[in-house]
Amino acid sequence: MSTVAIDIQQLTKEYDNGRGCRNVTISVGKGEAFGFLGPNGAGKSTLVKMLVGLTAPTSGSATLFGEPIGSLSAKQHIGYLPELYRYQEWLTGEEVVQLHSRLCGMDQSTIKPRIKQLLDQVGIGKRGTDRVKHYSKGMQQRLGMACALVNDPPILFLDEPSSALDPIGRLEVRALLKQLKQEGKTIFLNSHLLEEVESLCERIALLNNGEILRHGQISQVLYTQAKWRFKVAGFTPEILPWLNETSGISIERLSSTSSASTLLGGQDTVWLEAVVDNEEQVGWLNTLIVNQGMTLYHVEPVKERLEEWFMDAVSGLSHRGEQ
Amino acid sequence: MTTVIGMTWKELMRKKVVLMTMIMTVLFIIVFSFIARILGNTAGVDSSQQLINQFMTGASIVTLGFFFGSFILAFLIIFSSFSSISGEAEISMMQSMLSRPIQRWKWYLGRWLGYTLFGIVYALVLYTAIVVIANIYATVPQSLGLHVQSFLLFALTVPLLVTVTLLGATFFSALGNGVFMTMLYGAGWLGGMVEKLSAGADMKPEMARSLYNITGMISLVMPADAIQRKMLAVMLNIDQLAGMFNVDEQMRGGMGLGQIPSATFVVYTSMYTIILFLWGMRRFYKKDF
Repeated sequence: MSTVAIDIQQLTKEYDNGRGCRNVTISVGKGEAFGFLGPNGAGKSTLVKMLVGLTAPTSGSATLFGEPIGSLSAKQHIGYLPELYRYQEWLTGEEVVQLHSRLCGMDQSTIKPRIKQLLDQVGIGKRGTDRVKHYSKGMQQRLGMACALVNDPPILFLDEPSSALDPIGRLEVRALLKQLKQEGKTIFLNSHLLEEVESLCERIALLNNGEILRHGQISQVLYTQAKWRFKVAGFTPEILPWLNETSGISIERLSSTSSASTLLGGQDTVWLEAVVDNEEQVGWLNTLIVNQGMTLYHVEPVKERLEEWFMDAVSGLSHRGEQ
Repeated sequence: MTTVIGMTWKELMRKKVVLMTMIMTVLFIIVFSFIARILGNTAGVDSSQQLINQFMTGASIVTLGFFFGSFILAFLIIFSSFSSISGEAEISMMQSMLSRPIQRWKWYLGRWLGYTLFGIVYALVLYTAIVVIANIYATVPQSLGLHVQSFLLFALTVPLLVTVTLLGATFFSALGNGVFMTMLYGAGWLGGMVEKLSAGADMKPEMARSLYNITGMISLVMPADAIQRKMLAVMLNIDQLAGMFNVDEQMRGGMGLGQIPSATFVVYTSMYTIILFLWGMRRFYKKDF
């Protein structure tokens, strides 16, 4: 089996109303978790639908483990959890999973223990014998996960897998996804829950108005600049230009409303933020601060959250949203 | 494909529309039995004229039975299948299943066969019930050959309605398709009624011609009612009796047979069904979900 699980080349889907996505090129390795982000209406679901064979591309190509998308052989490799779905409410949870196993052409003599194990794994358990019409949204989402996993697929396409779940359910799904990743499954994750993407994925791509805006390793995306923060007391505004000049490092005081505080002894503290090239510069800055008679209370690296990155990437840009 | 057929049957067995149809069927059989008994008691068996009267009573009973029976059959077919494609796509149910390794044409054919076979079994039960009840209280033709032919014609409306409904589901939303099919079937029924009633009315030739053209065109688009008239004509052996007395003349008042479609019309209906089926399958195959 190829080491490239998903290979997308210039894939385009154009609708008459101008929606869809254009010239998307992404490659996802076997066993990799890939996060696909974008505002509502960016074209994320369109791309996933093309990859799972539900929508025909206007141009471009893509393969799943070397098999062209839409072919039966490509579909053998995938499990798909659509967004905002409902299952046959006249069936029980077990029957829904069994139906999917039949559609996958699985051996029915061995499927029963697997269905039970899957329903336990996603937290449905004995309620698998209830009709789906009695399931909450969260239960349906769990059932969707069980259906996506029934054929033990090497690639999982998950469109908002935990959007309808409560916080406990989200943690459980997140744990399940991590376990699946450890088992070597390739995960293509569409999610608005950026924390989920950040905790699971190695790489991400950001889609806006149907085009890839940014993509890369999550570690590179989130740590493009090494920033450190210093909590100090005894700071005077005149010291800042001196610190900048002496250290050769870009240092600024964080806005007074968010950074200033008063310690128990009545001493005022402020936060300083420095953009450094390496950790030696952090040590050098420590020394300068202390030598200037200031008291250093706390030093920490600044970790940019994916949410901030996302907002930074799409702010100021027009995006078509759900219009 | 057997999985899809099985899924369709399970859906039909558990959906409320089938329960509603069964309740309607039971109520219909009770009321129909009651009416058949009243009508049957009015006929005697002594003279040849009374023999004709008895035949006409039987004809009236089966005509009445199939008039309402075809409604119930259409109700089952249309309301159980109108949301099968677009409705399933609207709630992403279709997407999760079509991403499985199954050919789309197999899916479509499986759904079509599921609805059609179920409908034909139900049509057989309904047909048998109507004929047996009519036979208890009056005389209806006993020829097995005639019954086989007329049942096949009665059952022909099942694949026709399933085909048009599934085709509609590739164009319209679930709700839109339900409305479309109800209006289409209603138009076919209305066209048939107009044709039956106008058969005995005194009309100028040009007006009658225009009316026949309109009802003919409606029958071409929705041939269900015309096929039902053909079915009754075959069952009552109208062709054979035509030289003896005018059956239609004695069954006026909305219960007559009106213009009886030719065998060519049956062929047309079969071809129409096949073409629409292939069209629906092609649309489904090409459809983006």
